[in-house]
Amino acid sequence: MGETLKLFGWKVSPYSHRAEVALRLKGVKYEFIHEDLANKSDMLIRYNPILKKIPVLLHGDTPIVESQVIVEYIDEVFDGHPILPKDPYKRAEARFWARFIDEKVRPQVWMSCWTDGETQKSFIAQVKESLAILQGRLEGKKFFGGDSIGLIDIMACSLALWFGVMQEVVGLNLLNEDDYPELCQWGEEYRNAEAVKECLPERELIVGFFAPRKDRIFAKKAPVYD
Amino acid sequence: MSEEVVCVDFWANGFGMRVRIALREKGVQFELKEEDLRAKERSALVLEMSPVLRQIPILIHHGKPVLGSINIVEYIDEVWKEGPALLPADPLDRAHARLWAHYIDKMLFSTQTKFLKSKGEAKEKSKAELIESLKQLEQVLGDGNYFGGDEFNFLDIMLIPFSSMFSGYEEHGSFQIGVECPKLMAWVKRCRERESVARTLPDDGEMYQLHKAWYGIE
Repeated sequence: MGETLKLFGWKVSPYSHRAEVALRLKGVKYEFIHEDLANKSDMLIRYNPILKKIPVLLHGDTPIVESQVIVEYIDEVFDGHPILPKDPYKRAEARFWARFIDEKVRPQVWMSCWTDGETQKSFIAQVKESLAILQGRLEGKKFFGGDSIGLIDIMACSLALWFGVMQEVVGLNLLNEDDYPELCQWGEEYRNAEAVKECLPERELIVGFFAPRKDRIFAKKAPVYD
Repeated sequence: MSEEVVCVDFWANGFGMRVRIALREKGVQFELKEEDLRAKERSALVLEMSPVLRQIPILIHHGKPVLGSINIVEYIDEVWKEGPALLPADPLDRAHARLWAHYIDKMLFSTQTKFLKSKGEAKEKSKAELIESLKQLEQVLGDGNYFGGDEFNFLDIMLIPFSSMFSGYEEHGSFQIGVECPKLMAWVKRCRERESVARTLPDDGEMYQLHKAWYGIE
């Protein structure tokens, strides 16, 4: 396939990272186009008119949106490092855990950082339960995918970096080595993996996004981009 | 039995209907184990097979559980290659189908739930959002007979269970989906002629009555 690959993304976003790491694992060339989310480009809106979100992968003229959909697409189209297993049962398992992380864990983690009082206590309890479940899922392996990075690892990337940063900004310490040694070890392995290192944002970049907007994000319970 | 296939589901569960339709499209024999979602506690079987989320539908194949309706339909397509293909062949078409399946689950389902649960101004607002979502999906359908073009496939399976609530939405919101989305209603009629769909979808009246009781709708 000689068609060009362009990725509309934003370095601070873990969703954008997911798409980048998949491309890097496959060793395919792509052009990264930085999107200012306070000022979305015409091109982004043209390629993702309904959801207007990043990441958007443009393969030739065709846009692919939604980070998990993009990762699965990349896995299907490009040879090389397998992101999903070949066995249908293991694939279904990987997809289940990916959804669990995205639809249950990620919102719990987010809300545990941006609420207070009894609401926060409730979210903290949920996060603790989810982290324990995920740690159990690792079963002593290097990655959720086994010896190498797979779909679950990619979808869990927030736990390898972003959660740690947000915790620091808001003064929480839920994901720590004492309580979750294997999960923290996984985080370290993930951050140090070659394909990941090439596209992981600097910690300071993420701090630089959250710290000055702390009060506004707390008020809105959602990211604020300007 | 050489291939033991069990589907744990509740008759009114739209997500489970996806699984049952997919199995029937493929001509796979399966045992249906009914789980009453009105009960406060989940059964021992559900707790064993779905310990983390305790949700249905569950497909049990050779004694092992497959969870999540979208995952299950993809699994069915990958394992039983003899029947019609449920997912499109082209990766771009597959990405498109998965995106809209995600949209249905994220946008349509939460909107319809809000609509059924709310009253007054909130109800009017969510009614407008529901119609908007349905119109969006009608646009995706375009001029095709099915979301799969000429073939009934993945995205059709994802959406058709919701049609068993259409007359319920209409009664609840005093509007007609056929007026707002005529092409979508034509698609519903076409899908309901398929045996897999006709056998799986429950009676519309019963569906609405159940939801009325569930959500405390007068």
